Formats: sequence, C-alpha cells, structure tokens
Amino acid sequence: MSDRVMTKADIEAAEHLQHAHVEPKDFLSRYVFSIDHKYIAKQFLWAGLLFLLFGGLLAMLIRWQWAFPSQPVPLVGKALFPNSGGAITPPAYSTIFTTHGLIMIFFAITPIMIGTFGNFCIPLMIGARDMAFPKLNMYSFWVFMVSQLLMIASFCVELGSAAAGWTTYPPLSTNVGTPGAGQSLVVLALFVTGISSIMGAINYITTVIRFRAPGMTWFRMPATVWGLWLTAILNALFVPVLGSAGLLLLFDRTFGTQFFVAGAAGGIGDPILFQHLFWIFGHPEVYILILPIWGFVIDFMSFFARKPAYWYKGSVYAMISVSVLSAVVYGHHMFVTGMSPLLGQAFMLLTLVISVPAEILFLNWLHTMWKGSIRLTVPMLFALGTVFVFGLGGLTGIYLATISTDLYLHDTMWVVGHFHLTMASAAFLGSFGALYFWFPKMYGRATNETLGKVHFWFSVIGVTAVFCGQLIAGYNGQQRRLFDPFQYTYIKHLRELNKYTSYFAFALGAGQLAFVVNFFHSLFAGKKAEKNPWDVGTLEWTDCESPPVYHNFDRVPIVLRGPHEYNNPEVLAKLGKDWVGQSEQLPGEDIGIDAIAAE
Amino acid sequence: MKSLHKVLSALGAACAVFAASAHASADPIPETSIWSLPHDASAEGHRVDWLIKSTNVFVFLLFVVMCVWIGYAVFKHNKDHKAEYDHGDSKHHISIALGVSALIFFVVDGNLWFNSSIDVNSVFWNHGAADQKPNAVRIEVNAHQWAWDARYAGPDGKFNTPDDVVTLNDIRVPIGAPIVLQLASTDVIHNFYLPNFRIKQDAMPGMINRMWFQAKETGEFDIGCSQHCGTHHYKMKGRLTVLEPEAYKNWIAELSAQKVQAYNEKDKGANWGWEWKHSEDTSAPHGAGEPRKAASATEAEHDPKVLAQSRGGA
Repeated sequence: MSDRVMTKADIEAAEHLQHAHVEPKDFLSRYVFSIDHKYIAKQFLWAGLLFLLFGGLLAMLIRWQWAFPSQPVPLVGKALFPNSGGAITPPAYSTIFTTHGLIMIFFAITPIMIGTFGNFCIPLMIGARDMAFPKLNMYSFWVFMVSQLLMIASFCVELGSAAAGWTTYPPLSTNVGTPGAGQSLVVLALFVTGISSIMGAINYITTVIRFRAPGMTWFRMPATVWGLWLTAILNALFVPVLGSAGLLLLFDRTFGTQFFVAGAAGGIGDPILFQHLFWIFGHPEVYILILPIWGFVIDFMSFFARKPAYWYKGSVYAMISVSVLSAVVYGHHMFVTGMSPLLGQAFMLLTLVISVPAEILFLNWLHTMWKGSIRLTVPMLFALGTVFVFGLGGLTGIYLATISTDLYLHDTMWVVGHFHLTMASAAFLGSFGALYFWFPKMYGRATNETLGKVHFWFSVIGVTAVFCGQLIAGYNGQQRRLFDPFQYTYIKHLRELNKYTSYFAFALGAGQLAFVVNFFHSLFAGKKAEKNPWDVGTLEWTDCESPPVYHNFDRVPIVLRGPHEYNNPEVLAKLGKDWVGQSEQLPGEDIGIDAIAAE
Repeated sequence: MKSLHKVLSALGAACAVFAASAHASADPIPETSIWSLPHDASAEGHRVDWLIKSTNVFVFLLFVVMCVWIGYAVFKHNKDHKAEYDHGDSKHHISIALGVSALIFFVVDGNLWFNSSIDVNSVFWNHGAADQKPNAVRIEVNAHQWAWDARYAGPDGKFNTPDDVVTLNDIRVPIGAPIVLQLASTDVIHNFYLPNFRIKQDAMPGMINRMWFQAKETGEFDIGCSQHCGTHHYKMKGRLTVLEPEAYKNWIAELSAQKVQAYNEKDKGANWGWEWKHSEDTSAPHGAGEPRKAASATEAEHDPKVLAQSRGGA
C-alpha cells in the first residue's frame, strides 16, 4: 500500500524542510504583500468573487437581450448605452458575451477554484506549513492583479473591450475584425494571467511532491488535493500553449506580422493554426476547471455519507486518465473547419473514450452515497447538485463528440448549454460547496445554514433551468452568439422559450443575494466555528485551529491512514465515534516508525 | 446607343428574373414545437436525426437512473440509516464498475462512433463521390461580412467565365440532385449552416472548404451563419430555395443569359470565382476524404489574391 516508506529521518527532514515562518507584524507584509498561503487564498477569493459578480451581471445583460431584443435595459440601460436609448447595440452585445466568457473562466472560476482552494487546501490537507515557494505564491497573486487591471482597462478605451468571442478566433480577433485597443489589452491580460497560473501551478506541483507530511502517501491524500494537483499539472503544460497563441496574435495586432491573417487583408497566415493552439490549451482547460471539483465531490460524498469513498483508487486513476486524455481530444472543437475525415474519426473516438473514466467517477460517487448515512449539509447539497448538473452536462456532451451529430449541433446553443452545465454550473456549484465547507476554517466563523440552503436551491434550479433552456434552443438549431436570434424563420418560435430561460436566469442571479448576505454576515457576525464542525478526518480539521495559526501546524502531523475512514467498525468500537483523523492514533495502535516502514 | 440597348435588355432580364423569383418565393415555414428538431428537408438528414434520437433514449435512461439513485439514497439512506463500511475496492466491486462502464461505452458511445463513422465516410464528408455524380450541381460560395455570394458555372460548366450566375444571399438548387459547395471567405471565418439539412461547414479566408447535400423536397429554407463573424453576425442570413428540376433549369438559364450581357471583364470585384477544385482520389479506402490541409496550403497562395477582389462582388 505505502508507496513512501517513512523513517525517523523522514520525520526530522519534514520538520527541517518545513521550518515555521515567523508571523510578520507590519501591516504591508501581513495584509497586502503576504506570503502566507491562507491569506493569498483569501485575496484570490475576493478578487474572484468580484469578477464573478461582474461576469454574472454581463450574463444578465445577454439574457435580457435574448428575452427582449433591442428593448432598453431597465435600471442601468440609460447609463450603459446612452446612445441607443438604453438598449444593447450589436457591437456592445459582442463585447458583452466575449468578456462574459473570458471573465468567468479566467477571472472568476480560475481564481476562486484554483487560486483560493488550491492555496488554502493543499498545504493544510497534506500537512505542510506553507507552499514550497511562498514568495512565488505572492507574485502569482500580484501578477494576476495586473491582468485584472488590464481587463478592466480594456473597457475604458475607444471601441470598448474585446469582441471576437472568448475563443478569440483570428482573423476576427486581428485588426481585420476588431481594430480597437480593447481587444489587444484583453489578449495581453490573458497572457499575463497565464503567467500567474503557471507560477501557481509550479508551486502546487512542487508542494504536493515535496511537502507531504510523513506518512501522507499518494493514496492517503484527500481527493481534493489530487484534483488540484492534476489541475496544476495541466495548467503548467497547456497554459504556455495559450500564451504562445496569444503572443503571436498580439504580434499580428501590433507589429503587422501575419501568423493568422489570410484572405482579402493579404497575408498567407493560417487562421486554423490559432485554433489548434487555442484548443490544445482549451480542451485541457475544461478539465482544469473540473478536476478540483471532482476532488471536492469525491471527498464530500464520503464525508457526508459517512462512508469510505467507493473505490477511491479507481477515482484517482480515472482523474489521471482524464488528465492524460484531455490533451488528445481537442480536435472535436474543429470538426467543421474542414478536417480530414480520418483525423476527425480519431478525435471522435478519443473524445468518446473520455466517457469511460467519467462513468467510473459517477459510479463511484453513486456507490459512495449508497447505503450511507447521508447528512444533507450545505456543502453536501452543493456536491449533490454538482453531480446532477455534471451528469446532465456530460450526457449532452456525447452528441458533440460525434462528427455527424456535431455537424448539426456545432456552434448552436446546445454547445452553450452543454459547457455551461459542465465547466460553469458544476464548477460554480462545486466551488460554492467548497466555500461553505472550508469557510469555518478560513475565517473561524460558521455560515448560516438556512441562507446556504436558499442559495443552493436558487442556484441548482436556476442553472438547470437556464442551461436546459439553452440545450432546447440548440436542439432546435439556434446558433450561439446571435444578437437577435429571431431573424431566422426556423427559430422564430423560440421567443417564449428564450424569454422563460431569461426569467430563470434573473432568478438565479437574484438568488445569489442569499450568498452575499450570508458571506458578509458570517464574516463579521457569524457564530464562532468549532475546530472540526463536520466531524471529518482530514488534517486541516483535526490538526489545525479554526482559523489555523500562521504556521498551520505546531508539529508536522504524522499521517496514519487515508482521508475517508468513516464508520470503521474498529474505530467505532475503540473510540465510539464514526470518524477518525488521518493523524489520530487509535488506542493500542502502533505508530512506531518501524511499523509504518513495514507497511 | 449600343450601351443603352444593353442597359434596357439587362433591365428586361432583371424584371423577368424578379417575376420568377416573386413567383418562387414564399417564406420558409415556421416551426411550431420546441421539442423537435427542425423540419428535415435533406435526403441524408435522417442519419443525423436517427443518431440524435437513439442517443436521446440512452441518455434519458441513464439520466433517470442517476436521478432515481440519488433520490433514493438521499431519502432512504439518510442520517437514520446505518452506513456500511465498504471501500468498494474488492475485485468483485471493481469488475462491476469496469463492466458497467464498458457496457455503457460500447452501447451508447459505440452506437455513436460506429454509425457516425459510416455516415461521415460514406455520406457527409464524401464530397468526391457526390461531385462525380452526373447530375451534381456545383456552387462556389464566398462569404464576407455579412453576406453570402454564390456562383454557378453556367452552361459552359466553367467557373469565372462570362456566363457564370452570381447571386447574393440567394441559392437555388434542384430537388434530388447532389449539391456540391466549395466555400471560401474574404475576411473572417464564417460558417455556412443549413439547419433543415443538418449540416454546416466553415468558410475560411485563404482556403477552400467543401460540403454537399441533397434536397428531398421543394421549398424555402434559411441559410445561417453559425460562426461569430463580427457585429452583424446575426444578420448574415441567406435563402435556400429548392426547385423542381425544370424550374431550376429555367431559372439558371435566364439568369445566365442576363449575366452574359451584363458581364464586364474589368469588374474584378464581380469576378471572384476560382477554378473548381477536383478531389484527387476517390478510390481511397475512406471514400473521398481529401487531404484537405495539404491541398489548401497551395491554394492559399493564389486564392486570397482572387478572393481579395470579392468584397461587394455580387
């Protein structure tokens, strides 16, 4: 079982490697340029939540346009679109859906899911006192800040922000289609945020490899850490590819190169080259945005069904297989570019193969619940919601993996509904579940359960209705990104559908108020959190205070078992409780170094 | 005098064509149900519809199983139920998990892969076979922001000659014949989309893409753009009219005669066509799948110069 033999020297080495930092006293290094992973996690959280609000409001504008094309937007319309009497104009609409996508992916989900929980959970859950490179961690946040400012600046220049779609396909994204400075600033912002992601990724990868506490073998790591670690590896491998595409595009835009320019504008560049580069990054990106969520769900299912995670190793192997496969399936995004049939078929097969590990993950989640003793806490509700929406999203994806059905569904609202169920809804519900779960540890205060449940029901019903509405629109053939879909005869009858979908979207948006109120109320006036309110066995709950001290652990914990020991008969008999900490010694259990080494 | 005569006869021809088009044009029939795919007017569209609908059945079953399972577990295996201590990693458990996954994969994904492979190789991407049929109709389509230019070779069967028929956002085809399209773009990437024919293909600047379809009924249908191509992407709408073979013949003959008279060699903007790209080898094991990229790399070198002139070409 043990893939890492522990010796006394190991334990000493761990203490030596992970020397405790002294908590700084001055304001700047404590609250601004902090090198503490827990504080950087909170910085990413705030940054991400603000941009989630921004991206969410942009989504509301899109939904308004689809429900009531060209009618003045209530409340904010006059201020935002003064020249059109408060109605969204076609160029403004292009900017809105383009920046909605980019902001949600790179400036909301990424910082919340990876920046916040990667930073907060990895060291605490593996028994480390900080990241491997605390300063690099700090730089990662401040570089991210620069990219946020670039993004905001792009809205303030003439012709507005980016408008070529989040996929930024040239030649539309070159000066041929979007001559404004905003598009350049956004591409630059993506490049800079990529640097931040790579910095974070290197840190996470190294920390997990080098800083696991003695006894924390690979398969004793919580699934959360596995998910975040695999995400970091994908980030380190594929974000540079996006960076290269972005850089070449910037050259085309500013220095007159013609890597991607073809057609009447002159140039013998290759627009398809950009798509290859973009999707070599872009398809792993959708797994980058879901692997940590899978990790949370595997853990939460076990924690709140009070049962061991079903075939835990199988789930981990499934996540590893998905990570590997993610690099070789991207061609399904390009089925209609004029791909050779043989290549198309290979990509179709590889894409469909990904459903095998996904099915194993699903079966393991369902089996973990089965014959459990399920506690419907707020994090568990969000985890169940995640499974539900990811199930819907996964099932609707196989139509797009297949060439002949994709020829019809490609670039329709079906695609939009599908990927919003997987990488938006699942990532969004999973991240909120994680936030409700770790909030007591992060801030030392409990959140309000009722408000949490209100937030959950608004969110899960909201995302399901909105994105199923989009799936139906796509099934009817409605293309994505249409300013006014009802120009076309064959989708004229979707007016009501789009209207009702929008009503659900507005309700989804309004329901987030429950979170805002809960978040601020709990932050300042929440009940003081216990050390381990969920009765779970991972190190951050058993070996740390709520919130943890600056150096996390007074003594580096010695890990004795996996993270999912619930209702273990031996523990029940000896301790009289249904859980046991990963580092908790059972009466009579020999934790001698030799015993562990022998294992 | 000569020029006046030319103008007058052109006007006359235009009137005749206008009358013909007024006769032919009736708006596409709107759909009524949101729960169905759009009306299928394609001879091969049933392949896509069957694959979508058979997958719907599997997906629905799996979804119901998932929901019932979650619902049952949440209500029955609640906090009053004693949890079973089981890591689920016995050989027995693992073989069940692998077996179920394999079963779902071979049935659901297998159905998709197997049928789609056949459909794509023998039909949808088998452009060469369609192009070689004696009654095939060849059309060159050049997309630009935000309209579709179409070009028919005319009676001489050669593109970029005076008898070419050139139309804007108006493509007419005969029923029952393979319609073979070659697509290009002047400016940005567009996507030629026929929802009622279950098919779409990118129109790329600097390269020529192919697609083909065959209508099984007459009528009017929308042509859509499904690749974001700028501010007025949503307005890039064309009209596909499927005519009886006789009506199509008359239309093309009339229009061709008019175009011959109106032809102006010096109007480079109107002469944007290219020599038809023949597929190289239709006897390849996978039907007529052309090594597209290899072909387009050489095309890219001269086509853009031709296409460069095409803005406002119709």
